[in-house]
Amino acid sequence: MKWSFLAKPEGVPRHLVVNADESEPGTFKDRYLMEFLPHLLIEGVIVSSYALGSNVSFIYIRGEYAWIVDILEQAIQEARNNGFLGKNILGSGFDCDVHVQRGAGAYICGEETALLESLEGKRGNPRIKPPFPAVKGVWDRPTVVNNVESIAAVVPIINEGAEEYAKIGVGKSTGTKLISACGNINKPGVYEIDMTISVEEFIYSDEWCGGISNGKRLKACIPGGSSVPILPTNLLLKTAKGEQRIMNYESLSDGGFQTGSMMGSGGFIVFDEDQCVVKHTYTLARFYRHESCGQCSPCREGTGWMEKLLLRLENGQGKMSDIDLLWDIQSKIEGNTICPLGDAAAWPVAAAIRHFRDEFEWHITHPEEAIIRNFGLAHYADEREAVLA
Amino acid sequence: MAEEIKQEPPANFKVTIDNVTVEVAPGTTILQAARMVGGDVTPPAMCFYTPLKGSGGKCRTCLVEVSKGSEKDPRPMPKLVASCRTGVMDGMEVKSITSQRVLDARAGVVEFLLLNHPLDCPICDQAGECHLQDLSYEHGREGTRYEFKRRTFKKHNLGKYIQLHMTRCILCYRCVFTADQLTNTRQHGVLDRGDHAEIATYIEKSLDNDFIGNVIDVCPVGALTDKTFRFKNRVWFTKPEDAHRDCDKCCGKVTLWKRGDEVLRVTARKDQWGEIMDSEDGKTGWICNECRFDKKEVKDWIIEGPTKVARHSVIGANHYEVLDKPKETIAEVMGGRQPKLLLDIHNISDVNDPSVDLSKIDGPATGAVFNKKNLIEKETNN
Repeated sequence: MKWSFLAKPEGVPRHLVVNADESEPGTFKDRYLMEFLPHLLIEGVIVSSYALGSNVSFIYIRGEYAWIVDILEQAIQEARNNGFLGKNILGSGFDCDVHVQRGAGAYICGEETALLESLEGKRGNPRIKPPFPAVKGVWDRPTVVNNVESIAAVVPIINEGAEEYAKIGVGKSTGTKLISACGNINKPGVYEIDMTISVEEFIYSDEWCGGISNGKRLKACIPGGSSVPILPTNLLLKTAKGEQRIMNYESLSDGGFQTGSMMGSGGFIVFDEDQCVVKHTYTLARFYRHESCGQCSPCREGTGWMEKLLLRLENGQGKMSDIDLLWDIQSKIEGNTICPLGDAAAWPVAAAIRHFRDEFEWHITHPEEAIIRNFGLAHYADEREAVLA
Repeated sequence: MAEEIKQEPPANFKVTIDNVTVEVAPGTTILQAARMVGGDVTPPAMCFYTPLKGSGGKCRTCLVEVSKGSEKDPRPMPKLVASCRTGVMDGMEVKSITSQRVLDARAGVVEFLLLNHPLDCPICDQAGECHLQDLSYEHGREGTRYEFKRRTFKKHNLGKYIQLHMTRCILCYRCVFTADQLTNTRQHGVLDRGDHAEIATYIEKSLDNDFIGNVIDVCPVGALTDKTFRFKNRVWFTKPEDAHRDCDKCCGKVTLWKRGDEVLRVTARKDQWGEIMDSEDGKTGWICNECRFDKKEVKDWIIEGPTKVARHSVIGANHYEVLDKPKETIAEVMGGRQPKLLLDIHNISDVNDPSVDLSKIDGPATGAVFNKKNLIEKETNN
């Protein structure tokens, strides 16, 4: 875990910050946890704070989750009333307090250093690393920044014992994972999986997503939140080696970015055959352009440029050279920025061009159709019979 | 140069930059080490500014490839790193201009920086000492692939002396750091985000601090300009001279930019990287508003002699030597059409030929009228 990097010197106050700034499009698992199981999170925070020696811990929550702030505040108050928070918790001699801090609705504040800047009351610009937050975090003190799901998972790990917990899952993907499934599926929602089921089963089984809605066929899927590469059906269900793809970290990233994707934040977005990949890529580019903090130049200028090019392609006014230009822009952004937002903006564009290049070309060669018919080529779709629910 | 460096204490780190090895003190950044090597090896820096704490890392022009992390841990760094914010390690090997990856990334960054830049150099006061001009000349491509409208902002007056022209800004944050670190109050910052982020004083107000004029000096482009100098003269027509005066607020050591006996502009002294130089007595080189804006007469100053002009400037020894002429002709640019009247007039030298009686021509005078006459003359001469 990240915790081992924490700076050793004693006597300096340390902090635990829970990253509840969940703003990745397609990801809503933390919202579910905080909304319906706030006590689990608070318990996780208290236990983790004890382990890390943090007397003041923070939950940084995204501004749009205004009503969840009330839920968390109430849960914290209940914990305080019962002596689980405050001075000398349950006679252990350990003091701990938890504060909920609301963000102002910026995606970039989900990046851990930008989150810390925002928590300090400054503009949410990512810091330049190193130093990492574990050495110099909030107010220059050693800080651990963890996601809501990770902190909440501390509780079952402690209760069942680490070894028992690690028995769930396969290989290195141990424990359970929350997947927020959305898109063109019959049963969108948050699912807890043990990382042994196949992607195919996850999409089509009635226990999970329940198949594609309206009797359509599966075209593509983003398996881990908007910033990870999109995969067409053939690569989604089976890896390039022909093995069945399993819902876990290793299997989803099998084949690298050439033929694979990432587990990412667990936002599982499913596209049916009527969805247009160009339009979808444009929507994401618009999002990243809007959310770029504007600090470093490749991301600030490049995201806007990609958005404009994609809009032009989507409207059927593009040129063939635009596709290569897009590819060139994304390669200039990726890896050259301060924080991962640049990568996150570049990856979806790269993957869309890599796997759906002929759909982009179709938009250029059929400009009239591209404007009227707002969907792409269906030949990527899964060949299986559509099952009407 | 190399001998000077070797005289330093033996605990120094050995760094190899583009196959040139230098020894530097621990804690030096790659950029500073590369500046010791000098020449083309040195990465350009648009946002890093040595006297400003916390600056750098934003513009990404100084990206370099670290091909060997250190003697202890020889793994290369997977990503290109910002040399201005990465410290050196013993035995580190860095590639700057010897790496195609770096050159490509740098060309990309230059293109990104120029994407929304208005390129209004002909009317910009910074032209001639602009770092963005130098950067695009040295590291950029010819032409742009951007075919959309550029973003623009309104001009802002930041008080009596400073004009903010946000359209030209490349968001290096240098002025924000300057205002934060030289003055006691937080003067201005950045509003909004992404490509519509702008430098601003919150709810337009003037900047009136004794040292606020220094934001003009740190600005690498023409976004912050000196109102007492705006449109007065081109930089390359003025003659820089070192001068000083007794000032109770600052070091009083400045550069005067003169034309004849007239002092047009006063700036702080800068080194060859365009950064403020500390004066010899250890004081900081920042100068106060009084010296900068109010003392505009030769009698206010004790002249020391001409300033040695450094690399970053067109007035410095023929910086732009091998400029290519545009490859395409005007007809090509206009899609095969021949240029019209305006250009046609320049094609013939004797526009004001008194023998052509303009009052006797049908319709407006065009180049054809003169061409026709020249043709007739030629024929009769032959």
